Amino acid sequence: MALKLEKKYNKDKNAWIIKPIGEVDIYTSPNFKKELTDIIKENETDVIIDCSQLEYIDSTGLGVLISGLKKIKEKDKNIIIEHIKPNIKKLLDITGLNKVFIVKE
Amino acid sequence: MDKKDSLKISIPKKAEYVSIARLTASSVGSKMGFNIEEIDDIKVAIAEACINLIQTSPKENNDNYEIEFNIYKDKLIIIVKDKKGTFTNEEIQKDDLKNQESKLGLFIIDALMDDVEFINYKDIGREIRMTKRIEVVRDGDAV
Repeated sequence: MALKLEKKYNKDKNAWIIKPIGEVDIYTSPNFKKELTDIIKENETDVIIDCSQLEYIDSTGLGVLISGLKKIKEKDKNIIIEHIKPNIKKLLDITGLNKVFIVKE
Repeated sequence: MDKKDSLKISIPKKAEYVSIARLTASSVGSKMGFNIEEIDDIKVAIAEACINLIQTSPKENNDNYEIEFNIYKDKLIIIVKDKKGTFTNEEIQKDDLKNQESKLGLFIIDALMDDVEFINYKDIGREIRMTKRIEVVRDGDAV
């Protein structure tokens, strides 16, 4: 399954929302990284990752999120992960990233 | 040991083919009677093993790598095998992003599978050997 990325600015939350649809894996994560990095570089807002249609993420995708978090923290902003599915929550728990990111189910 | 069957696939060392390994693992796991969560564990672990192998492979090594599924009545042993290269502690200890990902991948494999071994063979490559046991073996469920 490929990856489709939707992105939009939410004025109420003053945040950019990225919605990955499909799978963030070793093949699709470079594209995800580019989109996330561009949004962080061009804006001074929090970034919400809406995972409601994210079916799968691997360590390369988690690496993209970690690298994004480092960059956005330099601007004193944050990445918020929302609506994660149980299989992805399990990976965040295993890797301890549930304590690194703000995760809202 | 009660080994029933064995399947082997050969995959190009390219990112776009890792999904083939996941799909095959899913199919084998389902046929053996693993539940949905266990099948998901196996899929995730095999992908991480492939990623580790691709990312730590020397650039000049473009040979395909092999995945072997060994089916037993009560367990599945998956061997992800590369004919060249070695696993070294040095690779895992570097603090760049690629190695952070590599550490995450190893954590994930270790947490999701029952047994994991990283084996270096002198001059003939390396393999990641992962075992997943079926919790309850019901008659007729295993292949």
